[in-house]
Amino acid sequence: MSSLSVKNLKRKPGRTIALVLLTAFLALAVFGGSMVVLSLRNGLQSLEARLGADIILVPSEAQSKVSFQNMFLQGTTGAFYMDASVTEKALEVPGVEKAAPQVFLASLKADCCSIKIQVIGIDPEKDFTVQPWIARSLTGELGEMEVAVGCKVEADIGEIIRIYEQRCKVIARLEPTGTGLDTAVYCNMDTMNQLLAAAEAKGISHKITSDDDSVVSAVYIKVKDGYDIDTVNTALTGKLRKVTAVRTRSMITGVSDSLAGVSRTITAMIIVIWILAFVILLLAYILIVRERSREFAVLRLLGASRKMLGQMALLESSLCGLTGGVIGVIIAAVGVFSFAVLIEHSLGLPYLIPTFSTVMLLGIGTILLSAAVSAAASAFAAWRLSRVNPGTALREGN
Amino acid sequence: MILKAEGISKTFFRNTGSANYFYAVSPLSIEILPESVTVLTGRSGSGKTTLLNMLAGILEPTEGKVLLDDTDLYSLKDDVLSRLRNERIGVVPQARSAVDTLTVMENILLPARLYGKHAPAEEARQWMEQFGIDSLADAMPRELSGGELRRMAIIRAVVQDPDILFADEPTGDLDDENTEKVLSALYSFAHDQKKAVFIVTHENDALKYADRLYKMEKGRIGLQENQSGGAL
Amino acid sequence: MKKTMISGCIILVLSLVISIGSFTFLSPCMHEDGSVGACWWAGRTLLGLGCLLGVLAVLALVSGSARFGAYLSTIAVCVLGILTPGTLINLCRMSDMHCRAVMQPAMIILFSVSGLAAAVGAWMSGKGKA
Repeated sequence: MSSLSVKNLKRKPGRTIALVLLTAFLALAVFGGSMVVLSLRNGLQSLEARLGADIILVPSEAQSKVSFQNMFLQGTTGAFYMDASVTEKALEVPGVEKAAPQVFLASLKADCCSIKIQVIGIDPEKDFTVQPWIARSLTGELGEMEVAVGCKVEADIGEIIRIYEQRCKVIARLEPTGTGLDTAVYCNMDTMNQLLAAAEAKGISHKITSDDDSVVSAVYIKVKDGYDIDTVNTALTGKLRKVTAVRTRSMITGVSDSLAGVSRTITAMIIVIWILAFVILLLAYILIVRERSREFAVLRLLGASRKMLGQMALLESSLCGLTGGVIGVIIAAVGVFSFAVLIEHSLGLPYLIPTFSTVMLLGIGTILLSAAVSAAASAFAAWRLSRVNPGTALREGN
Repeated sequence: MILKAEGISKTFFRNTGSANYFYAVSPLSIEILPESVTVLTGRSGSGKTTLLNMLAGILEPTEGKVLLDDTDLYSLKDDVLSRLRNERIGVVPQARSAVDTLTVMENILLPARLYGKHAPAEEARQWMEQFGIDSLADAMPRELSGGELRRMAIIRAVVQDPDILFADEPTGDLDDENTEKVLSALYSFAHDQKKAVFIVTHENDALKYADRLYKMEKGRIGLQENQSGGAL
Repeated sequence: MKKTMISGCIILVLSLVISIGSFTFLSPCMHEDGSVGACWWAGRTLLGLGCLLGVLAVLALVSGSARFGAYLSTIAVCVLGILTPGTLINLCRMSDMHCRAVMQPAMIILFSVSGLAAAVGAWMSGKGKA
């Protein structure tokens, strides 16, 4: 009977293709939509991990907070400065366990491209957010005029990139984070100071006042266990002038809310598509009953039992569903993986594609689900066809 | 092998006329014996096909029993009855009965393949040659004429090697030459291979091949000729 | 229409998408200062390859005798088209720039599908000849 089912599918290509395409569309929607939702969730987790700190201190300028958030979410460049003494002063506040400074610089144009790239200077000894992540891709330390690049910077290890005409050697490419940090370039403070000087020579000043020697762009704060983060936040704001304390939780909550909204929309779309596809499949199979009654009547006449006929009908619909599932998953996978960057940009949220095993599980699950839905949609038709009466279906004159 | 029908009848519901139910086949009893050709004639609408379907195990009677070697066909479970029909009862229906997605040869071998039995391809070829459709083995049913399809259906039933073969208007689409071939082949099938053949027809060509001749009128059956000397 | 011409129709449509797309929605990066980068040249090359693909598709459709050869040539052009953005001609370094985020994956997909259609068309044409 299984070879008969396969022959039936092969020799009625129009009908088979229509059913396969319908389930392919279903699978495409499920797999594609689920991949996007999972990638967003992954991105959010990555963002939480990358932020690392409880509080981040940035200059009070109106734009700096927005720039800071956009830097993390969309990779837009930011360059804002405050006095380096903020780091030491922050450590004096009760409840502050660690304070790690970072300096940001936006290049005018690197030889990599015509847009600005974000350069982030860290103090490897004090840093507790970026340094652990850099350590996963780099066994040694960042030396002078050496940089580690985010995964979206297309520079090979050993290559020289020029920032403000300064030659910097790429010694590591970092793992993807799904955040805007993937487009950043990291260096130590000595390198950053040289780059700041080079920028100064190009007419781009980083100084807050003409006496400024040493500046930072942000200070990452880790709060001691047992201390209330809000209380420490308030204390920091009170002590440090012209400095804004950003609760990372609020940033994450903001992103999380946006993500939830996008997730809900995608999920709703998937459900609507499912229902539509199921109804269309159901109707298609009911229409097929009329067309195939004679064929099943002949099989019944020749001694096929009702069970055999029902199994044959279900096998055909499952094969269509399976094939459609595979096609839909492949098309969705090609689209989601090929255009991952575009999707990320369109959504404006952290976006990190799940691991290979997760993707495989999702793919297999989608394919099996497509086969099951197809079989379920054909169940009524299969039942009707198995009960066809050869005597009436093969009447004279038909 | 004996096929015996005891007091079988069939009523259908009809939504017109004075009575809601009508007898397509009035209560009757009949025996079909091996090594014989039984012919049933009658006008269109007299109940011949309905009777054939009941005897072939396809249509459950309203009353009565159909016994194949003392086995009540309609008391069997569907899968058991289906298998029994596949092995022991062959049917050539009046209507077109090809599976359109299979070739002519695949159609002919279908009864065997349903239960994974050995497909008698060589025997099928011989019959196809005899009936003049051997060149159409790989053709699809839509490419065949009505007569060619009829011959294909007969070959399918014969190759199935049933104990009893039912044929409803087997010569309907055939020319004189092929009509003779088919009827002669069915006669040989019955007598040489010790099978039972039951033919429903309204053509006179079959009458000379009949060992028993029945006539059906308005659901009632009457024996016309019985070479064995028996009666209803 | 013969079955062997279906591939030709598919390739013709895709060649139009490639050609028109290469200077519109699938174009390389537009630089802020008006200068052109390496990816611009990749875009021009893809435009040329797209036009060539169109010519081969038309040849496959109108000439039965040249159909098989046209499909084989199409496969070669498609291989070139897949390798052009990023392998034969460099693109911008940042993965989120238009040339890498949109042009490169889209062109690879379009040329791959065209190549596949050409392979099927060549196989069917070759079968007919045999």
